[in-house]
Amino acid sequence: MTSPDIHTLTGAYAVDALEEDERQLFELHIRECDACAQEIAEFHATAAAVGDAAHEPPPPSMKAAVLAEIDTVRQERPLPSTVTDLASRRDPWYQRLLAPAAAVLAIAVLGMTAIIANMNGRIATMETQTARVADVVAAADASIIEMPGFEGANARLVYSASRGEGIFLADGLPEAPGEKVYELWFIGEDGASPAGLFDADERGRVTHVLTGDLSQVQAIGVTVEPAGGSAQPTSDPIMVAEV
Amino acid sequence: MASGARSLRSVPDPGGAPPRSEDELLGAVARGDQEAFSELYDRVAGKVYGVIRRVLRDPSQSEEVAQEVLVEVWRTATRFDPDRGSAVTWIMVMAHRRAIDRVRSEQSSRDRDQRVGQREHVRPFDEVAEEVETRFEHQQVRDALDQLTDLQREAVELAYYGGHTYREVAELLDAPLGTVKTRLRDGLIRLRDAMGVHA
Repeated sequence: MTSPDIHTLTGAYAVDALEEDERQLFELHIRECDACAQEIAEFHATAAAVGDAAHEPPPPSMKAAVLAEIDTVRQERPLPSTVTDLASRRDPWYQRLLAPAAAVLAIAVLGMTAIIANMNGRIATMETQTARVADVVAAADASIIEMPGFEGANARLVYSASRGEGIFLADGLPEAPGEKVYELWFIGEDGASPAGLFDADERGRVTHVLTGDLSQVQAIGVTVEPAGGSAQPTSDPIMVAEV
Repeated sequence: MASGARSLRSVPDPGGAPPRSEDELLGAVARGDQEAFSELYDRVAGKVYGVIRRVLRDPSQSEEVAQEVLVEVWRTATRFDPDRGSAVTWIMVMAHRRAIDRVRSEQSSRDRDQRVGQREHVRPFDEVAEEVETRFEHQQVRDALDQLTDLQREAVELAYYGGHTYREVAELLDAPLGTVKTRLRDGLIRLRDAMGVHA
C-alpha cells in the first residue's frame, strides 16, 4: 500500500476538492512548504484561466444590486502585512485547525477577537496536542493514509516517519454508543497495544495525536470498548489502516 | 471620497488614457474608489458568475453567490497582495471557493436530513461530463484540456466544475484515491504548462 505524500495534495487543494478538515491541515503545511505554496499559486492562476472559459453574462440587474450593497459595506482595514503573513505569524494556527469552517470564514469577516474569546477554553487544554499536530503536518515526509470509512465517517491518519508521530483524524463519526468509547490500537508483530481513547465531538470530528513509538507499528486499528478502555481489544475493529 | 482617492493615482485618467489593468483597478478599489469598482465589475462579473453557475447550475443561487463574492471583493480589496498573484486570480479563487462552500453546506444539511434518503441529488458522471464538454467555448482552454489524459481531464473537470471532492471524484471514476490526487496534480501541471500560466 502506498501512502501518497502530502505534497501531492496541491492539485486537490487548488480546485477546492479537499474535505474541510483536510483543507485546514493542508493550509498548515503550505505555510511551512514554499514549494507547495508556489505550486498552488500557479495552480490557482491555471484554475482561474480554466474558470474564465465558463464566462457567462450575469443577470443585468445584478450590477445595480452589487453597487447598492457596497454603498452600505465598510471596507476592511488594510493589514500591516499580507493575509498569509498575518495568518502564519499572528493568528495562532490552531484556531484554524480547531475552528469549524464557518469560524474560519468568520476570521476573515469579523476579525479574530470573537474567535479568540470563543476558543480560549479549548485552546488552553489542546495547545500541546495541537502544536504536535502542526509539527507532524509540516514534516517534509508527512503522508496521509486513508482509513476505510465507518458508517459514513471519513477517517485518516497523518503520519510522519521521521518524527515517529501520527494523528488520527475523523469527521462524521457517530458518538460512541452508551457507556462505550473508541479505542485506538497499535498493531505490530507482538499483537495489539493501546494507543489512546477518544470520542467524537458533537459534529462527529476527532483529532487525536497518537502517543508512543510508531516505528514498530504495522497497522492502526480502532475498536469500540467499555468506558475506560481495555488492555486488549474486546471487539472487532471498525477501522484498520496499514502504516 | 471617490475623487479624493483617485487624485492619489500617479497616472491621471482623463479621456484617452490607456485602460487600467484589473490589478490597478483593484488597487483603486482598495482606496475606496467606487467608480473603479464599477469598472472592475464590468471586467470580472461574467467570469465570476460563469464559474459559480458552472458549479451550482441553479441561476438564482448562482446570482446570490456571485453577488456575495463581488461585495467581498469590495470589502477585502484592502487585503489583496499583488505579489502573490493577479487580481483576476484572487477574485476567481474567491468565487470558486464560495461556490464550493455552498455545495458542501447544502450537501451536509441534506445528509443530516436524510442520511438514508434517496440519492437523486447525485448526478451521474456522464451527465456532468457531457455538460462540461458542451459548454466549453474557450479554445485555448479546450486545447489545453485536450493535452490531458482522460483520467486527468475528468478528474480536473469533476473537481473544478462538478464541485466534487477528490473522494467523490474517485467514486465517480471508480479510481483509487491516491490515483485521483496525483491525476489532479498532474493534470493541473499540464494545464499550467500548456497555457503558459505564471503565478
